[in-house]
Amino acid sequence: MTMATTTLHSADRSTRRGDPTGGGLSGAVASEWTKLWSVRSVWWNLLASALLMAAAAGQEAIYVVNENTNSDPADDQGVIGLGTVAISSVLLAQFTVIALAMLVITAEYATGTIRATLQWTPSRGRLLLAKTAVVAVVTFVVGALLGALGSAIADPVLGEWGRFRVAETVGDVLAVAAYLSLISVFTLGLGTALRSAVGTLTTVFMILMVVPTALGVLDNEFVNRLVDGLPGVAGYHFMSGDTDPYPPAAGLVLLAAWALAALLAGYAVLRSRDA
Amino acid sequence: MITLRGLTKRFGATTAVDNLTLDLAPGRVTGFLGPNGAGKSTTMRMILGLDRPTAGEALVGGRRYATLRHPLREVGALLDAKAVHPGRSARNHLLAMARSNGIPSRRVDEVLATVGLTNVARKRAGTYSLGMGQRLGIAGALLGDPGVLMFDEPVNGLDPDGVRWVRELMRSLAAEGRTVFVSSHLMSEMQLTADQLVVVGKGRLIADAPIADVIGGSSSTAVLVRSPQPAGLAELRRRLVAAGIAVEQENDGALVVTGASIAQVGDLAHDIGVRLHELSVREASLEQAYMELTAGNVEYGALATTGSGARV
Repeated sequence: MTMATTTLHSADRSTRRGDPTGGGLSGAVASEWTKLWSVRSVWWNLLASALLMAAAAGQEAIYVVNENTNSDPADDQGVIGLGTVAISSVLLAQFTVIALAMLVITAEYATGTIRATLQWTPSRGRLLLAKTAVVAVVTFVVGALLGALGSAIADPVLGEWGRFRVAETVGDVLAVAAYLSLISVFTLGLGTALRSAVGTLTTVFMILMVVPTALGVLDNEFVNRLVDGLPGVAGYHFMSGDTDPYPPAAGLVLLAAWALAALLAGYAVLRSRDA
Repeated sequence: MITLRGLTKRFGATTAVDNLTLDLAPGRVTGFLGPNGAGKSTTMRMILGLDRPTAGEALVGGRRYATLRHPLREVGALLDAKAVHPGRSARNHLLAMARSNGIPSRRVDEVLATVGLTNVARKRAGTYSLGMGQRLGIAGALLGDPGVLMFDEPVNGLDPDGVRWVRELMRSLAAEGRTVFVSSHLMSEMQLTADQLVVVGKGRLIADAPIADVIGGSSSTAVLVRSPQPAGLAELRRRLVAAGIAVEQENDGALVVTGASIAQVGDLAHDIGVRLHELSVREASLEQAYMELTAGNVEYGALATTGSGARV
């Protein structure tokens, strides 16, 4: 290299090549950010997320009103916080956000861009960290917006049965944001380990929806303990503020642990397998 | 400067790259030749840290690629022109690339102009033809103004103008003192572009020599002798054969001597007093030389060298 640089026009080159401090993790994050927003599918995805959230929140709010006004007093929920509707709705609306997080890595393998990406950012750890940062921040913001949207849709539909208190609703919206952010990071880690979109989406869907429902049918004490530990269930306990079987904070910790475990699995695969 | 030391890659029972030791020097174009499946792409992928070597190492400027802080400023590579998201524009692709290595964004527009893609820079890469994709890949390789450049089949899908442009680009990059490593199946193109040749077969090094030596070492490279004296020519032939040199006679009477230098043949003709009307070297094409080298790896196993510049 030294031989090459001395024979090249070195002053000319430094202006072309950029300052010596750029790049690194912040460069990798900037690169991932640029990549994320430069494909149309992201915008379609966000539109779909908003529509899904609006529809789910509207339907959820109608259910609540029906239950409060029907002839069966046993299912009355009374006056509920607006954020409660957003929390129930996100269980459906989360799948478009999960798809967004998944595409950040699986699209790289599907299109072959992973080989380009690893040439730019050859450090596997740095690359995964950059992707995690972008996914976590973007899905947190998207989650907050979706939570706010769900609450806003719920308000007119619930009417007298809805309760808006700033602290309570903001707390619920932030809980939705944190949940979506962590479940997205979990998906990113899983996608990095599995590399395929179909495999990742299937696995996430199984873990979030199918497994808890299927195992719940057994109604076995031990199995129920296990189900309480699954990321989707833990996330719901956290968002809804349940104190049983564990406090909401424990739900958050469990969910974060799942996200971290998935990331570590993804990192192990990224490091050891050829691109 | 690229250094390969005992570089080996096995996929299960198959050995794709077998104990490759090489130094690729700056200031010249090194052509990388070998049949399909000889391990050329795998070697390049290992240099870029995309594939992990089973044994040995590949170093760029003395360091592993994965440890470079600004890899694009050290090594520019075009391995697979299709490694671009089809929904992303060329400009955004290069912009993401530039940001990852702290390269200013005006450099993106510079390289787009260099490869002639300025007018279509905002179109999605999926709409590009093979040749345009290839140009985008070359733009990416040039982006960080690196001292080492690697190109895998860079003229694939390019029109004759494009082929010529790539040839001149390689020559000028090497003339600026950069290390240029390029693989191609187009022998005529390689003959015009490369200074040094690295030939591999079945993952093993077959030759690492200046292109002139590879062509000169071919059995198709011969000395042509014509004389108006058939008897003298016959005598010359007898003496050459006696010295263990292969001689054939063409239909028009000319002798084709392989395995002797033009000086040897000329001196011998002088010694026996035969008048010559032609004494010339008939050079093999790179294609002929290459075909010979790769025809049977075992046969040419003895030619495999470990250092650079060895005679073939």
